[in-house]
Amino acid sequence: MSEPGSPSQPDEALLDLLIKQVTEGLSPAEQRELDVLDTDAASGYLRDFEQAAAAIALAGSANANAMPEPLRQRLDESARTFFAPAAVPQSATPSARAVSGFAANGWWAAAACLVLAVFGWVRSPSPAPPAVSIAPPAVIAPPGPMVNATPPPLAIPTDERAALLAKPTSLKIKLEATKDPGAAGASGDVVWDPATQRGYLHFVGLAPNDPRIHQYQLWIFDGARDQRYPVDGGVFDIPANATDVVVPIHAALDVHKAAAFAVTVERPGGVVVSAREHIVVLGAAG
Amino acid sequence: MISSVLQRIASGDPAAVRECIDEYGALVWSLARRLSRTPSDAEDATQEIFLDIWRSAGRFDASQGSDKVFIAMIARRRLIDRLRKNSAEPPMDPVEALESVAWADPGTASETSMEAEQAARALAELRPEQRQVLELGLLHGLSQSEIAARLSMPLGTVKSFMRRGLIKVREYMNIDAEGVLSEG
Repeated sequence: MSEPGSPSQPDEALLDLLIKQVTEGLSPAEQRELDVLDTDAASGYLRDFEQAAAAIALAGSANANAMPEPLRQRLDESARTFFAPAAVPQSATPSARAVSGFAANGWWAAAACLVLAVFGWVRSPSPAPPAVSIAPPAVIAPPGPMVNATPPPLAIPTDERAALLAKPTSLKIKLEATKDPGAAGASGDVVWDPATQRGYLHFVGLAPNDPRIHQYQLWIFDGARDQRYPVDGGVFDIPANATDVVVPIHAALDVHKAAAFAVTVERPGGVVVSAREHIVVLGAAG
Repeated sequence: MISSVLQRIASGDPAAVRECIDEYGALVWSLARRLSRTPSDAEDATQEIFLDIWRSAGRFDASQGSDKVFIAMIARRRLIDRLRKNSAEPPMDPVEALESVAWADPGTASETSMEAEQAARALAELRPEQRQVLELGLLHGLSQSEIAARLSMPLGTVKSFMRRGLIKVREYMNIDAEGVLSEG
């Protein structure tokens, strides 16, 4: 291996951190260290190491056993509800669903208007929208496949977010409430680091949700992608009695040029495509 | 033409979601069982992993690797995340943690996936102690420090074995011939 830190070779410390990230994960302090050492090439090395680790895992799983039947049944139930009718307009044609399965033109218009008119895209609430369920303070989410999929927002170390906020190359965007009834009083911000593809949402006053009924879902509009297909940024909950919440962003795709962020209210577990019936907060890059 | 079950999920095909469980359930369960502290944890992790898979299906790019590698990458990310979040809990059951691994035969691993065969061929070239480090770290979820303690091996040696093993597999996978691949 050539000299560490040379232009064509990653730094030794960077390599150690990337391999540790792939094999056992990083502590917040190590993540901050990685942020400092991070280079454009780091994400490529990380992906390659992840693929190598996955290949080794496959090679070591030659005689994988079937899962227990009760677990299989739980998964089947999750699969049955994954594409709930509410996620796909009844009028969607097969050809339309093959493209997006949802109001693709709406998203495209959303992104365009976000960039051009800053929130001017938000449509007025429909005449009789289904009410957004707000969790009463005493409600505790029951165990369930979709509920368990969302990490507790309050467990996220705020120092990681602070580190991203301090990073000069991070994108900082203010989030503003729409006219949706469920958005009243909400505000927030987002910090997004394009290099590491990590980021956090921060909300003040966003209504708590009952995860048995609805969950919030983030969508990221990538200026380098087809704007009809915003990137899924993950689902999350606002706990009862929480007024100030930090939520990690889990982008399903690499975001090359974050242009706008939107949060919708969706069924538990989120959706692959959104009917954008309830958009609660929006933010666009300047 | 859409052929992969992942591509079908991304296109909104409800039937593909269940087929995904049929096709990859054993793999995900196997990974979850090894990298979870209890069977109950493994079941919860398996559910979370499948949700991740379904929601990330649109990210699958067949030109970047096989569907199984994509699935295993998602599974490992989630499992490592869970292990870190539960790091304050008692360590994994040592019996479960050291459950023997059935490595794929380099000659037949292609039945699993091309990448599995490439990894099996690369692993076959490693010394037994190098292979053991990879097994403990990647298949049983032990940290580098835990591996060093278990094998009475300097931490620096564990790091070196881990790095070289990953690079060796990466070479066999023919990923980007530049950069770290030149290390011996």
